[in-house]
Amino acid sequence: MEEPPVREEEEEEEERARPEVGPEGALSKSPAQLTTEDVYDISYVMGRELMALGSSPQVTQLQFKIVRVLEMLEALVTEGSLEAEELRLERDSLRKELQALRTGDPPADAAQVSLGPDKMVVDLTDPNRPRFTLQELRDVLQERNRLKAQLLVAQEELQCYKNGLIPPREDPGGRREKGALVPRTGPARVNKEEKTVIKKLFFFRSGKQT
Amino acid sequence: MAKKTYDLLFKLLLIGDSGVGKTCVLFRFSDDAFNTTFISTIGIDFKIKTVELQGKKIKLQIWDTAGQERFHTITTSYYRGAMGIMLVYDITNGKSFENISKWLRNIDEHANEDVERMLLGNKCDMDDKRVVPKGKGEQIAREHGIRFFETSAKANINIEKAFLTLAEDILRKTPVKEPNSENVDISSGGGGTGWRSKCC
Repeated sequence: MEEPPVREEEEEEEERARPEVGPEGALSKSPAQLTTEDVYDISYVMGRELMALGSSPQVTQLQFKIVRVLEMLEALVTEGSLEAEELRLERDSLRKELQALRTGDPPADAAQVSLGPDKMVVDLTDPNRPRFTLQELRDVLQERNRLKAQLLVAQEELQCYKNGLIPPREDPGGRREKGALVPRTGPARVNKEEKTVIKKLFFFRSGKQT
Repeated sequence: MAKKTYDLLFKLLLIGDSGVGKTCVLFRFSDDAFNTTFISTIGIDFKIKTVELQGKKIKLQIWDTAGQERFHTITTSYYRGAMGIMLVYDITNGKSFENISKWLRNIDEHANEDVERMLLGNKCDMDDKRVVPKGKGEQIAREHGIRFFETSAKANINIEKAFLTLAEDILRKTPVKEPNSENVDISSGGGGTGWRSKCC
């Protein structure tokens, strides 16, 4: 068997390491390379420029459409990058398999691989494989036991109140259910209630400029 | 804030092979209940039980360790703070009895020098499956100068007695002066009755 070239990796690393060119740089990127951060950069740039056009009704109309388009772009880019990550993982595992085939190790008989003493084989596809360190376990257990101790103290104290050993204090001002049931006013307006990152970035500084 | 609801705090530790019933022994003592399903303890857990001895409210903080080898580095770090250690084996499991010397070595290595020790042969309700004669337990306890009980968490035999005896032994060694107490107890010596075990 002849050796296929294994070179693509390096190009990829170079591309990722390209220096930053400011928010405007995102606009000159190839669509395939676009990240969600780039979309946010674009939102910021466009928002700023549109804001400079003033606040006539036509501009406002346009703003909402542009925000919507940018949100669509954000969704597509996010989806794309997740797919790319999955493909990358698959490629890596295939590459490893290929490597094993080339070096002549029969992968099916992994149990025979001589690892030397104090080594063990872990099946990476096993959802129950060991994957936390001793220190992590130690920390979790300490945290659990600390919380348990606090709970016991609280329960003990509660029992004291129940038995009337400690007189209950006056409740400072009855609790009022406020805000929870107030309905939102009208459709999404340009105010503090922006929901998406895009909107935040798009309308960044709008308060100061208009 | 709640007032302090006890006079003294004793920290106890349960050790021994996996499956001998450490958690069950503790559960019987703390909640007076028993559960047959075997769930391996993960690392370390604890329970609290307040008892009254010689007119003192003593809060027992009892640490329950995992017997499995893979948790040893975690569990041995809890030996240091213990004032009393209960070493448990299973009378129906010869291996758990053979390992007692290993556990005693662990105590020597990791616990305080003056820690109060006690040996428990658990599951004494299962006499038909017994492989460790009671005499062997008594003998090894005598050799190491420690107390011994045969217990059953399931049948509730000697569980409370074992814990109270261990607590009494610790209390006897505890200096009577209490820095925060209002009345200083001068009843030194405190004639403790060395209880002998009787089970099954």
